[in-house]
Amino acid sequence: MDRKELEELIRLVEDSDVQELHVRNLLTSVRIVKAQPHELTAHAAAEAPPATSAPVTAPAASAADAAEEAPSLETNADAGLVPVTSPMVGTYYAASSPDSAPYIAQGDHINKGQVVGIVEAMKLMNEIESEVAGTIVRIVAENGMPVEFGSPLFMVQPD
Amino acid sequence: MFSKILVANRGEIALRVMRACKELGIPTVAVHSEADEDALHVKFADESVCIGPPPGAESYLNVRAILSAAELTGADALHPGYGFLAENAEFAEICAVHDITFIGPTGEMMRLMGNKATARTMMQKAGVPVVPGTDGAVQDIEEARLEAERIGYPVMIKASAGGGGKGMRIAVDPENLVTNFAVASGEAEAAFGDGEIYLEKLLIEPRHIEFQILGDSHGNVVHLGERDCSIQRRHQKLIEESPSPAVTDDLRERMGRAAVEGARGIGYASAGTVEFLLDARGGFYFMEMNTRIQVEHPVTELVTGIDLVKEQIRIAAGEKLTLTQDKLHLRGHAIECRINAEDPSRNFAPRPGTVRELYVPGGPGVRVDTHVFSGYAIPPYYDSMIAKLLTHGSTREEALARMRRALSEFVIEGVTTTIPFHIEMMDDPDFVSGVFDTGTLERRRAPSTENDVR
Repeated sequence: MDRKELEELIRLVEDSDVQELHVRNLLTSVRIVKAQPHELTAHAAAEAPPATSAPVTAPAASAADAAEEAPSLETNADAGLVPVTSPMVGTYYAASSPDSAPYIAQGDHINKGQVVGIVEAMKLMNEIESEVAGTIVRIVAENGMPVEFGSPLFMVQPD
Repeated sequence: MFSKILVANRGEIALRVMRACKELGIPTVAVHSEADEDALHVKFADESVCIGPPPGAESYLNVRAILSAAELTGADALHPGYGFLAENAEFAEICAVHDITFIGPTGEMMRLMGNKATARTMMQKAGVPVVPGTDGAVQDIEEARLEAERIGYPVMIKASAGGGGKGMRIAVDPENLVTNFAVASGEAEAAFGDGEIYLEKLLIEPRHIEFQILGDSHGNVVHLGERDCSIQRRHQKLIEESPSPAVTDDLRERMGRAAVEGARGIGYASAGTVEFLLDARGGFYFMEMNTRIQVEHPVTELVTGIDLVKEQIRIAAGEKLTLTQDKLHLRGHAIECRINAEDPSRNFAPRPGTVRELYVPGGPGVRVDTHVFSGYAIPPYYDSMIAKLLTHGSTREEALARMRRALSEFVIEGVTTTIPFHIEMMDDPDFVSGVFDTGTLERRRAPSTENDVR
């Protein structure tokens, strides 16, 4: 195997989704392994979701893995935002009853302790109070959606 | 049969229950705390719901969150595993109110057997021999003194609401009794909110022999033989086996019958365990009954070929037991070693950490129940058991040889485990000879310090 052939093989691995390539002929054998930054990328995504866009030198598969780690908090637009999360398991409602106006709308300013929604659990309506003061940038939860402990309800730009 | 089962537990038992559900074709729901986001039981389940922050009280013991999760996912049955809410009578009853079948006995059963003094009385009524002792609780030290004279010293002072060794003290004479009565009652009050005390005769060097029973809602009860759980440290079981080296066929027949009569007498339905103490002369006495599936249930599964969790599910769905006593035989011998993330050389201090490398033993006659995987970070919030290693052989010698082999193959790197302790025990003359009792471990010298090898 000469240098040119070797370079071609390396390029082949680099440009594809292939992770590892073994080539054997009579006199030589070559093993080319792609660097694995997977763990690092996913790790970075989980640790600091809004701020960083981790250097994506890894192949496409890796970025998809990272995206799956923290679904709704991935975009760069979320940098600096704080989520209001559900403190309980149940069904989220935006208003106190089907005929009432929703507690909050996008763009509203909310204060700490302000009621921002309802989570219904076991036929009991529980008012959800915000832990943060700021402006509602994005509403994540849909009316009538099931939520678990920690589910993000809205993204807030803190004061 | 149920359309969906929510498993209200975590770790290896959650996996165990889900495996039974899968074999029965029933979809599962996992509930988990934030600390268990990446846990195996969450990955195994068809759906999962995060129910709270790491502490058990706010998650796995959070009744509202768990029932809410059942409601959201449409689960029509719930399996509590062991520990957590498994023997919580109120919880069992709340499930019923919400049309969720609790896979276990009724709240009433739990209360009956949960009060140790009451359980004694009920078993006595069913004709089961009990450890000589007081008929229910003693009201005060005066009554205790009279009773102790009648029973004969030494006596064991025990808390009615007790468990896990709390609220227990020995009294060897009347002065001892006065002191320890107050101490035991105080400890029980602090630990269980109930300082009620009863007395039992202290048996010398007894063995802990428990019988697995299954009862259905049609009045049928069978026993699946015994498990010898005498190897204990501070009343925590470390090694269990079936059959017991100390139980003859005759004794098994008599103890088994007593266990069945006891369970039938209280109308018990589901899986349960009747615990006896066996003294050196072959006298056996009822100690207590556990109204849940137990940690060591696989020992019985290996020697009988019966899937106890599937039986629990079938019983809860109202099915009649297909097993009959004449069809139940113990085949071969099984041993279980509980592998904990603890340092045996540092008095079994818990050592949570991350499992860097894991190789699980295999080959003939080996069963491993574990929730641990390579890269798994053991959370510090829950108990320290990380795996159950079981072996089965056609004889006790073969089961022992397989356990020695399996222990030597087991690799859990990155965490300190009790594997070295078990390796020592499998060559321990007392254990190998089969002549040991509940005091054996407590009476010996400090265990292995060779943790670096693992």
